[in-house]
Amino acid sequence: MLTLEQKREVEEFLYREAFLLDEMRFDEWLDMLSEDIEYTMPLREHLQGDVEPAGHPIIKDDKLMLTMRAKKHETGLSHVEIPRSLTEHIVTNILIEDGDNPTELRVYSNFLVRQARKLRDEAWWAGRRKDVLRREDGGWKIARREVLLDSIVLPRGITIFF
Amino acid sequence: MVSLGELREVVNWQEGLISPSVLFDKELYREEQTKVFEKVWMVVGHEDMLRKPGDYVTNYMGEVPVVVSRDMEGELHVLVNRCVHRGNEVCLFDRGNARAFTCSYHGWTYEISGKLIGVPMEKELYRDEIDHDSWGLEQVRVASYKGLIFATFDQSAPSLEEWLGEDGCWWLRNYVLVEHLGGLEALPGWHRYRTPGNWKHLAENFIGDDYHVIAATHVSWLKVVQEFTQKGYPIRRAAASIAAKRYEVTTGYLKGCPMGFGNMVLGQQAYEQDLALAEKIGHDAVEWVRYRNSRFQEVMKEYEIAPYSFQNGAIFPNLGLMGFLSPLAGRQFLLFHPRGTAEMEQWQWTMVEKEAPAIVKEVAAEYAYRGQHMAGTIAPDDVENQERIVEAMRAPRNWRKPHNYRLQLGHEEEAPQGIPGQVGPNPSEINQRNFYRFWLELMEA
Ligand code: FES
Ligand SMILES: [Fe+2]
Repeated sequence: MLTLEQKREVEEFLYREAFLLDEMRFDEWLDMLSEDIEYTMPLREHLQGDVEPAGHPIIKDDKLMLTMRAKKHETGLSHVEIPRSLTEHIVTNILIEDGDNPTELRVYSNFLVRQARKLRDEAWWAGRRKDVLRREDGGWKIARREVLLDSIVLPRGITIFF
Repeated sequence: MVSLGELREVVNWQEGLISPSVLFDKELYREEQTKVFEKVWMVVGHEDMLRKPGDYVTNYMGEVPVVVSRDMEGELHVLVNRCVHRGNEVCLFDRGNARAFTCSYHGWTYEISGKLIGVPMEKELYRDEIDHDSWGLEQVRVASYKGLIFATFDQSAPSLEEWLGEDGCWWLRNYVLVEHLGGLEALPGWHRYRTPGNWKHLAENFIGDDYHVIAATHVSWLKVVQEFTQKGYPIRRAAASIAAKRYEVTTGYLKGCPMGFGNMVLGQQAYEQDLALAEKIGHDAVEWVRYRNSRFQEVMKEYEIAPYSFQNGAIFPNLGLMGFLSPLAGRQFLLFHPRGTAEMEQWQWTMVEKEAPAIVKEVAAEYAYRGQHMAGTIAPDDVENQERIVEAMRAPRNWRKPHNYRLQLGHEEEAPQGIPGQVGPNPSEINQRNFYRFWLELMEA
């Protein structure tokens, strides 16, 4: 059983993460991820009957790829983020369970992200996350994240983090 | 608004001057849904998506929802996804395996082949007078070329092979569908996203716009990859060879269905580069890259020049191709479905070479979803341009000055020839001009 104190700590951690993402402080955000992080976003589909699962996901990133994505926007030439998107990550419904070993927790959360671009263009992203948080150096790191977007046809291309 | 009579003036492809009204004029859009989308052969999928009897995928032909299916006898069908009783959609899933579809409105049931097999209370209410043969789901004419499935609403259209042309078939067979390597394997799943812009604008981007790749749109990603590679990070991503000289290929040039194959490279420099990358990936990858190269050389030995690969391409009207530059890249097939003058949906699927070893398939798939894909590092920058164009083009007064498609005008053949199709300089706008040449022909027919 987690103490209330520990629960608060995990919630605080996720809110801090959302804050850094909305502030576009990606270096600090990357520091919240373990070196061996697996960040995935499976393809959502409506399937009928006996068929094979999707052949590949939407996203399957390691820390290197996540870093490269962040760096792309720092080149000053990444048009899709010029000017930068305005985002609000609303993170709720946080549930915490014991992990596979004493240093890890399973953390579930829901999110609603609004992304505004330029004059009018906007996108709403809703979904759930299934994270594994690991205790490292006295703090928490995200060691695994699965993002389940509630979109079959995405409202736009993805250039932000969830 | 542009009338059809004026179209010839605003689509001056010969001079490379084409008005943006072809993209944004609503009346032209309505005309186009009939004159283009009801006349052409369109890609709707690949046979490998339908391995078992009863397998189906849903898709669109223009704005028309269709089901592409393999019936219990193994025959292919393309069915309009619309109940003939009162117009309800009968198939609600993205893909699946089923024997039949039952309409949710009055319960008419159609076999996966489209045949009407059930009408609730048929005897009592219809006195058994329904002619089942004439009340099945509408069958669209279907044909496949080396696994790639096409369909057309036009019963009088020429055969598919005639439509694609000998040169087009040659490119599809050898460089897209790699018949001599055992063909392609479909990785299941549609990857879809809404995209601002007119469908033609992305189609023309794929058929010939290799200017944007190196000049501006994608430089941020190229820069990051270069930087991280130099720093020694383990990047297993195929890239265009810097040493190799590039060309554009056109089939259906000035006549028939346009296809374009961009960033085609000759010689062995790109091969050497792939081999070096394969060495980082492992023994199986090296073997495959070698084997593949020797197979290509056998197939190409009777020709004066031997392409190693191309990178991007398109088949008129709305299929884009990407990721054909390297055996370590995933093959991407992208459909640009029209959703009005200034909006489309991109539907894409990924393929890998069927006989490639597992590690190559894995690397290839990764190449696909990290690049020209809705969450990749390439496609969203393309889409960004479309978004800006839509914003700048809202006012019809901005359609008056034609756009400039004059790149390499008059220099169309300045490249080594000796293979089917016409080889041209790169970058150029030859393929874009040829695209609108055919579009105009269809619109004026
Ligand atoms: S609309 Fe389909 S059965 Fe009536
Ligand atoms: Fe592009």
